[in-house]
Amino acid sequence: MILRSIELESFGRFRGQTVEFRRGLNLVIGPNEAGKSTIAEAVPAVLFGTDRLERFKPWGRNVCSSSLFFEGRGHTVEVKRNLLTDEVELVEKDDLYHVRSQFSGKAPFRGRSASCREYRELLEKLIGVADEKLFRATYFFGHHPQSWSGDELALKLRTLVSGTAEADYAEILDTLLDEHFQLTRSNPWGRDKQRDREYETVCQQLSEQGDEGAVPIFVEIDNPARDDSQVALEEEISALTGELEFERQEYEKGQRYIARFRQQADFNEEKAKPPAKVEPVKEEISGTKKALAEKLTAAGLPPSLPPQLPEVLSAAAEIRQELAALQQPFSILHGREKKIPQVPWMVIGCLLVLFVALAAVAFWQPFFKTPLLTAVGVCSVALLAWASWRQINRNKILEQCRKERGLLEQKKGVAQQRQAELSERCDALGLPSSAVDLVRLQKLVMTHRTLLDQYWSATESDDPGVVKGAELVDRQPSSPDPAVSVVEKDLLKAAEAAEELSQLEARLADFAAKLQAKETRLEELQAQLKSGRHAPGAAAEAASQQGPLVQEISVKSAMSPLQRRKNDLEDRIVVLRKSINLLADAVDEFSRSHLVTLNAEAGKMFGKITGGRYTEIKLDENMAPSIQVDGRRWTPVDHFSRGTVDAIYLALRMALAKVRDDGRSLPLMLDDPFVHLDQKRLAKTLNLVDLASTDGQLILFSHNLDLGKRAARERWHVVPLDGDAVNTTTDEGGEHAGQLHLL
Amino acid sequence: MTRLLGSAHIEALAREESVRGVLVRTVIKQSEFADEQELELLEDALQLLLKRFQAMDGEAS
Repeated sequence: MILRSIELESFGRFRGQTVEFRRGLNLVIGPNEAGKSTIAEAVPAVLFGTDRLERFKPWGRNVCSSSLFFEGRGHTVEVKRNLLTDEVELVEKDDLYHVRSQFSGKAPFRGRSASCREYRELLEKLIGVADEKLFRATYFFGHHPQSWSGDELALKLRTLVSGTAEADYAEILDTLLDEHFQLTRSNPWGRDKQRDREYETVCQQLSEQGDEGAVPIFVEIDNPARDDSQVALEEEISALTGELEFERQEYEKGQRYIARFRQQADFNEEKAKPPAKVEPVKEEISGTKKALAEKLTAAGLPPSLPPQLPEVLSAAAEIRQELAALQQPFSILHGREKKIPQVPWMVIGCLLVLFVALAAVAFWQPFFKTPLLTAVGVCSVALLAWASWRQINRNKILEQCRKERGLLEQKKGVAQQRQAELSERCDALGLPSSAVDLVRLQKLVMTHRTLLDQYWSATESDDPGVVKGAELVDRQPSSPDPAVSVVEKDLLKAAEAAEELSQLEARLADFAAKLQAKETRLEELQAQLKSGRHAPGAAAEAASQQGPLVQEISVKSAMSPLQRRKNDLEDRIVVLRKSINLLADAVDEFSRSHLVTLNAEAGKMFGKITGGRYTEIKLDENMAPSIQVDGRRWTPVDHFSRGTVDAIYLALRMALAKVRDDGRSLPLMLDDPFVHLDQKRLAKTLNLVDLASTDGQLILFSHNLDLGKRAARERWHVVPLDGDAVNTTTDEGGEHAGQLHLL
Repeated sequence: MTRLLGSAHIEALAREESVRGVLVRTVIKQSEFADEQELELLEDALQLLLKRFQAMDGEAS
């Protein structure tokens, strides 16, 4: 998948600008503060949101939004985010611009709502990464420290392979071990520590209390499950109380809303006062129509869809296809225009100057003066004639292209005019006018066509005195009696309001029932807790008669704080040990399954950068890299220059991205990473970068203006930033150019 | 009770080619043969680790 463009509507220093990229190597070049890093940061900010909004929010403007357009095999993905509200719109379309999947809703940075989960799942499915940190660890390649040691490099690599941009698995393991040994001296992985820790101290104190007879009376206290049960009960009561308080407020709000709604509905009904002939028909409608309307609502379709809908949708589809069909001739035309050869006036000028010089020489020398002067004159005239002929031909072809373009523009204008008319018609019918919404509606209509036909036929079979809102709009100009029409409208509104009111009341009743159930549950739990607490000295006996739960509560209540602490410590130690074992196993497994491939890939790439001087890289269990020198000695990277360490890091990062690639990979984004490389090694590194970009896409951000020359030579795609504005390259003749903007 | 194992978030993490991904896969594998008590312990441990890996909200590392 490649990143086709970034639309910076209002993002950082950019406003209403589009940066386009191509497959292969892209170079974003510009001086410091030109906005390179802002462009790079727009990608994760749009995909995942950001907690650094202030950095991207334009000064003095209350808007901050941007869009990304990705292009994969047979589909495109557009993600648009308003960073202020975190409203995201994601649309995946196939080649024919049919919407395959979409999301519209709030997806804040680190959000945990259902809508957020839905968005991340879709993101994971489409671009293979749903986590900002993993994205940075895999596809971001930024500035390095001025100099870094082998340990720092190892730390960075451990962080990257951990799957995050900040946490390092070895550090996590160390922290867990520290925490474990702060709690206990017992060491299941080696020799026990000498000094007692908190757990041993608590055990000691408990044992001393036991000697004095102050130990709790129940043997079962060793079982931490009993402790948990009471805590769980209390937690459940607390949570339920909070929930109930909130839901009671919601219920009261609902009641107030329904009361207001009812007042409004009564007023509308009073206002409508339908004529006598309309009233009975209104009664008839609410039967079959209501049932059909409910089915339509359940299917995701609003029941107020007008019967003209299929016609409108087919017209919209026709216009869409027409506009899509026009894109191809435009592209072909542009290609043709580009292929028209330019007349090399510069070369011709130089040749003429040469001829004049030759003529001058011929004039001053004694031999063959006349033939030489004639030859020079003939050549000059012939050259000028040829150039003029080429220019005339070029002008002719350009004129022809201009005419064709005019015709196409005319066709496009007609289609756009039709589209505008259709939008107006949609607005009049109460339909959405955006192409995306219409496509979605078309799919829904196709799926539920039978149901809609039934609904419309039910509407048509009604008394003409009762018509749908949309039909009223259509019929307004020819309506014989406007007063009747207004009454009909009011009637319809009243019917809809009554229907909505009944739905609201049903929902509120349902809510009230749930509320009641929760209140009952709370009372039960409180009773259980109370009975447990009231168990006196002989609590165990009483509890054993009242069932296991009460027994647990009473036992717990009889525990001393010291015993509770001991149980808590035991729980924590068990969890810590399990965590440590799991993480150690995972690290071993990762080393077995991935390290060999990573070493091989990195070695291959490092060999290319160093021109075959070093071809083997080895990462040890701590991810500290060593390089094989002279085919035998393994030397730690501390012994090499900064440039070499940078090159190793580059090789490892690219190898890591390759190892993680599952076919959906995003572009690698390199933010000025080669500042420490010398010219020779930079050239080789750029060769490698160029090579790596052939399989996908790579975006290199740099302030090194010399790279621009190489970019021109190697035909890289260049996005120059001049510090004031983006000079975006908008080559319409590029691959699929303009198609993403069709809708 | 809502289970962490089996959630969409965990399934997404399990697809990662990283230490974190391998860790989640290891836990999922172990959970297939675990009884209720062991399952609870696995969930607690996984939760603790993911918080340290900053893959979940909660305590800071």
